[in-house]
Amino acid sequence: MKLIITDLENFNLSIKGEHKIIKPQGDIKHCIGCFGCWIKTPGKCVIHDGYENTGIDMGKCSELIIISKCYYGSVSPFVKMVQDRAISYIHPDFVIRKGEMHHKRRYKNVISVSAYFYGENITDVEKETARNILEANADNYDGQVKSVHFYKTIQELEGVIL
Amino acid sequence: MRIALINGSPKVYKSASGSLLEDLKIYFAEKDEIVEVQVRSTALSDKVMEELDTADAWVFAFPLYVDGIPGHLLACLAQLEEAQLQNHAIRVYGIVNCGFYEGIQAEFALKILQNWCVKAGYIWGCGIGVGGGGGLAMMPQMEPGQGPKAPIEKAIGILAGQIQQQESKENSYVSVAFPRFLYKMGAQTGWRQMIRANGGTARDLGKRPE
Repeated sequence: MKLIITDLENFNLSIKGEHKIIKPQGDIKHCIGCFGCWIKTPGKCVIHDGYENTGIDMGKCSELIIISKCYYGSVSPFVKMVQDRAISYIHPDFVIRKGEMHHKRRYKNVISVSAYFYGENITDVEKETARNILEANADNYDGQVKSVHFYKTIQELEGVIL
Repeated sequence: MRIALINGSPKVYKSASGSLLEDLKIYFAEKDEIVEVQVRSTALSDKVMEELDTADAWVFAFPLYVDGIPGHLLACLAQLEEAQLQNHAIRVYGIVNCGFYEGIQAEFALKILQNWCVKAGYIWGCGIGVGGGGGLAMMPQMEPGQGPKAPIEKAIGILAGQIQQQESKENSYVSVAFPRFLYKMGAQTGWRQMIRANGGTARDLGKRPE
């Protein structure tokens, strides 16, 4: 399954195969750092606003596709809040991976991560930051980066088939 | 000098970011005027924006969330960029508290803050990535230069000097002075205690809801 997390409310890109789209539908609450998703309802966020199941969805996906406006080399606040609320995808225990501390797997699936960033004036430094962060995300998910793309406008994205 | 200490942790109590700012504040006690700001929502009030506009330096402290800046704080940074405050001589510093042992894992979160300065028109000072931040808020106070926090306190002291001198320097990275395997064991023991306190078992930590 392809899991798409996007900040585009009117998302209309073509997608091949089974997929789920998480996009702005009502206000999202931000992560409050309570760790309830690890110690109260393991695997699921304790905030009930419609965005609490992303960790579970990530456990079912083979591809995570992020489509986001680029903010200083980061994903947008909406996409980041979805990601922050989905740390339940991983287990709280630590492992050492590539010589660094990361979290242990909760699920067995290996995620391949792609990102499609859009925005005018994305600098080369921001692009490098975005690529580095995606690599770091993949390390923490114990997955891999498939591809990272940059577009100046949302319209440029319209021909993309996910 | 007027320094704004901006705590970007969403936690109300026992935030490691708050603890690090408290350590930093000690250096400013006499000479400088401190403005303390808590960012626990996705927008800053007009009053906070006005206060920030009068500062000479902003020090952001926040936890590392998914290799970056917590979403609610990122929203506030975007708001600050949009607001186009009058005072663009503000120098920005960052302290990123990382639950992992290695402070270097905060590198890209600091880079985002640095990139934001370029876009929003502020001056980047420098930042520190603090590894092993998971237990900071619960560590007992010890004599200066003693205990697991010693290298972190040293880095905070250096940062305080850089802020007062209005310097721009390279970012630095530091970890708690505690063996990594013990930090890992301590964290894992902590999760087991917490899940039991919430009526679960150690085995429940690995549940796979579908």
